[in-house]
Amino acid sequence: MRKDLVFGMAGSGGDGIVSAGDSLLQAAAAEGYHGVMTKSFGSQIRGGESSCRVRISTTPILNPGGNLDVAVALNWEDFLKFGAELPVSGTTVVIYEAATGIKESEIPLVGVTPLQVIAVPIAAMAKETAGTERAKNTVVLGLIAGWFGIGAVAVMKGIRKKLAKKGEELVEANQRAFDAGRAFAMEHPLKASMNVVPSETKGNVKLITDGNDMCAAAAIFAGCQFFGGYPITPSTEIMQFFTDQVWKYGGSVLQAEDEIAGIGAAVGASFAGKKSMTATSGPGLSLKSEMMGLASIAELPLVIVDVQRGGPSTGLPTKTEQSDLFAAAFSAHGDVIRPVLAPTSVADMFRITIEAFNIAEYYQTPVIVLSDQEIAARKETLDPIDTTQFKIINRLVPSGADLQDYKRFKQTDNHISPISHPGMLGGTYLASGIEHVESGAPTNSGNVHQRMNDKRTKKFDPLKDRKDLFEVTGNPNAPIAMVAWGSIAGVCREALEMAEAEGLNVKLLVPYLLYPVAEGVYNDFFASVQKGLVIEQTHLAQTFKLLRMHVDLPKGLKSLARSGANPFLPSEIVAALKTLVSELQRSHEGNLQPQE
Amino acid sequence: MSATGTCEYQPKDYKSDLKPIWCPGCGDFSVVQGIYRALAAVGRPPHEIAFVSGIGCSSRIPGYTTAYGFNSVHGRSLPIAQGIKMANPDLLVLAAGGDGDGFSIGGGHIAHLIRRNMDITYIVMDNQIYGLTKGQLSPTSQKGRVTCTSRFGSLEEPVNPLLYVLAYGAGFVAQASPTDLVGMAAVIEEAIRYPGFAFVNIQSPCVTYGEEGQQIKGLKAISESLSALGHNPADRLAAMDLAQHYGSKMHLGVFYRNPEPPPTYGDLVKERQALLSKDALPKERILDLFIKK
Amino acid sequence: MAIQGIDFAKLSLKDALDLAILIEDEAQERYEDFASQMEQHRTPEAARFFRYMVENEAKHGRELSSRRLQLFGDAPRSVTPSMIFDIEAPDFDAARAFMTPRMAMEAALASEVKAHAFFVSALPALQDLEVRALFEELRDEEIEHQHLVKIELAKLPPDSRLSEEDFVDEPAPQ
Repeated sequence: MRKDLVFGMAGSGGDGIVSAGDSLLQAAAAEGYHGVMTKSFGSQIRGGESSCRVRISTTPILNPGGNLDVAVALNWEDFLKFGAELPVSGTTVVIYEAATGIKESEIPLVGVTPLQVIAVPIAAMAKETAGTERAKNTVVLGLIAGWFGIGAVAVMKGIRKKLAKKGEELVEANQRAFDAGRAFAMEHPLKASMNVVPSETKGNVKLITDGNDMCAAAAIFAGCQFFGGYPITPSTEIMQFFTDQVWKYGGSVLQAEDEIAGIGAAVGASFAGKKSMTATSGPGLSLKSEMMGLASIAELPLVIVDVQRGGPSTGLPTKTEQSDLFAAAFSAHGDVIRPVLAPTSVADMFRITIEAFNIAEYYQTPVIVLSDQEIAARKETLDPIDTTQFKIINRLVPSGADLQDYKRFKQTDNHISPISHPGMLGGTYLASGIEHVESGAPTNSGNVHQRMNDKRTKKFDPLKDRKDLFEVTGNPNAPIAMVAWGSIAGVCREALEMAEAEGLNVKLLVPYLLYPVAEGVYNDFFASVQKGLVIEQTHLAQTFKLLRMHVDLPKGLKSLARSGANPFLPSEIVAALKTLVSELQRSHEGNLQPQE
Repeated sequence: MSATGTCEYQPKDYKSDLKPIWCPGCGDFSVVQGIYRALAAVGRPPHEIAFVSGIGCSSRIPGYTTAYGFNSVHGRSLPIAQGIKMANPDLLVLAAGGDGDGFSIGGGHIAHLIRRNMDITYIVMDNQIYGLTKGQLSPTSQKGRVTCTSRFGSLEEPVNPLLYVLAYGAGFVAQASPTDLVGMAAVIEEAIRYPGFAFVNIQSPCVTYGEEGQQIKGLKAISESLSALGHNPADRLAAMDLAQHYGSKMHLGVFYRNPEPPPTYGDLVKERQALLSKDALPKERILDLFIKK
Repeated sequence: MAIQGIDFAKLSLKDALDLAILIEDEAQERYEDFASQMEQHRTPEAARFFRYMVENEAKHGRELSSRRLQLFGDAPRSVTPSMIFDIEAPDFDAARAFMTPRMAMEAALASEVKAHAFFVSALPALQDLEVRALFEELRDEEIEHQHLVKIELAKLPPDSRLSEEDFVDEPAPQ
């Protein structure tokens, strides 16, 4: 019996394969399992190649998974288009459409012999039972229920609910298709059973959501009252959530005429005293840089969510990457420090978004949340989150005394000045992008400029001591280390588990705060480290270089970087760690040789 | 054929091998056919044509022609087209995009292309929705329209693309649609031939996100020919009056054509270059400019 | 469907044949486009039918071309593709992602009906007797083509009453 299964399914948009994955995830959650689902598409809006991965487990899931346990190919041409996103290995059971006419011994997977290969007349069964081949996805769900014991009741319950409005005939057709799939599976049992053990948490409430919706919900929870933005894949759903919900909380949302107007409106809302945000992807971040610089010098709180996708320029709009790090940290001319945070999963997106608002409000600054397409679009099941544990921080409001001869940019011990907003009697001031004295009046004095730059950069010093924005797992004194953030952190967490299970002495640092670089935290972490990897999905190894700018990195710390749309597998990271272990052993042995 | 010479070209000569990603039934298939026919009628060789677009479903169009294409960034086809035309005024320069690309993020550029009167033809495929990103509000969506980003209905009046360009003084303004294929190809051809900035708004329905009433059948029902109405395209005010019906009526044909097209920006640049070239120092002696006399 | 610049009264046999060939060419190209769109959007059965139509139109085109060659050799054409719009070619609007073979055949049938209507409407204006004979022949052939499509249609089982949209995935944002 298994505790964990990774499904990978591919076909075309017309095959409903993503809907099937969705149904499977919902059913798994209903049965008390943890689940994660990711999707991937071709470039057509409708019937292009389409795939999804669903990972189901009895324990919390760290990462959508590496090699597939079960591969479902409704046609081979589309399956193969996904390459490394759907990796098949010697432990995979491959289920494919018999109508492809390909023999079980001749499936087009180069260099790999799967555990078992089964051709199933999926389309024919669909046609026979539901009257249309398009019911293939429901047949597949029936096969999965039969072979792996997931969703036997829950899938059809979910489908019934979803299709109730469309009529009984449709529901019945799906039921027949599902039953046919299940019957086929029962009649052709797998060589080795792969049923998943029943979950012990069945009956517990589970949330199901994706990174974008979670981000928006967290923002509203944190008190965000304004969203200004523009549609751009893969971030648009954040704006869409706001258009559904924010009115109910007395807030508003604007789909502006372009990216710059979107952030401009958000800057305006912040000036007016409201917590506000914008969301975009790479191309939008580039456009927004001028406004971000303005918010920095005007010391206005603002949250900017960048859901990274393949770059540069239009790049790969539907694929994930981590290559906006430099842009997030350094975009916009001049000497600016702008905090950059990065969630690693849908679950911690809630906490990190709240943190972003808190940091933005406390330090009176724009803050960038670096999400990515993988986290934004993937659906996770979550245990309910106790929202009472989160502290909400609001901007420092001027006291009565402050408002006697109010100076907006007054120098204080911690460099943070009370901030007024229009409507506040006594708090009138001029906000601007031009350099200014304490009152806000323009200046071109070198002395003032130096002092103001000091204020605007030193105010962030306490951030560098925020150990709670870093996660260290594994043996704290391990000589071998990994550093990873964002969606890659999940892959590395799984790699850590696998490595420790094999007796390797390694540790992992996951920074949630990417910038400013908290040198102290890194120095502490690297103290014991002799060899290691900074693992990231950027072609230029941006994280490695950013760290190198600020931290004395151990000589043995190397970069493991690659372009987006090229996933990392936990197994390959473990293999890389093993290489480091051998290198370390050899160098120790070398050191122990008697001197000549 | 020599540069700027014309030859016998068939519409097929302008069709590339790249297969469109558009959904079957998309209005843009007819539009690109109209462009192939218009270009064949004008007869410029494909390699002398520069076709610039922004981002969106309709912005994929340059790749489906055999011209030099530039599928650039969202809303910036016009600045790039201007640069191309200024660098080589002999090229035939076309720009294309959707209603969002042109009138939302790109809206600021249109006014300036018009007042510079560069000899560029701008084709907008107007479907009142953001198709590529999955169905959000567009600047030409009707007020009250329910979309992914306006679930309770849009609160905004739409932009009127026709009035917009007419008010800025464009010299050639027309509207077309796949409901009238002959008219569409003719109007695109006329726009290309017009010596100066020319604008064609094409009502090209989105078969995936468009509303039922906005598909070909619905468009036919509100369609009216400007020439059949007896409209005089030399009358800008009459054109603007008719343009106000954008959204409720689909007027097809030429709204406005300047009967006495002024010199284009390119003409004026050529004139200036000719005038001043005699004053040019040889390049090797350019630093003489800094010698105090 | 539309035409421009054709004077039926003055249409010569050479021009008429060339026009007929262009009509077949246009239809062939359109079916080719449709087949390609269906393949791009993973609708193989409709794609197969459209490829069958490509072959049909190509065959008719070839027959007309050899007649033209016999009668007029390679005398230059005076008619152009721009004179005809969607005479026998199905409207672009007729295609849909996930269309069933039945829908594909109905689109082809509608095109044959359109083409038939074209020849019928042109007949009264034609002056040349040989051209008349040609158009009558082409008109009757369209009826034959409709018949062939109807035979194919009859072979199909009825479409499921359920809509495709109930099974397919949502569109993907790009």
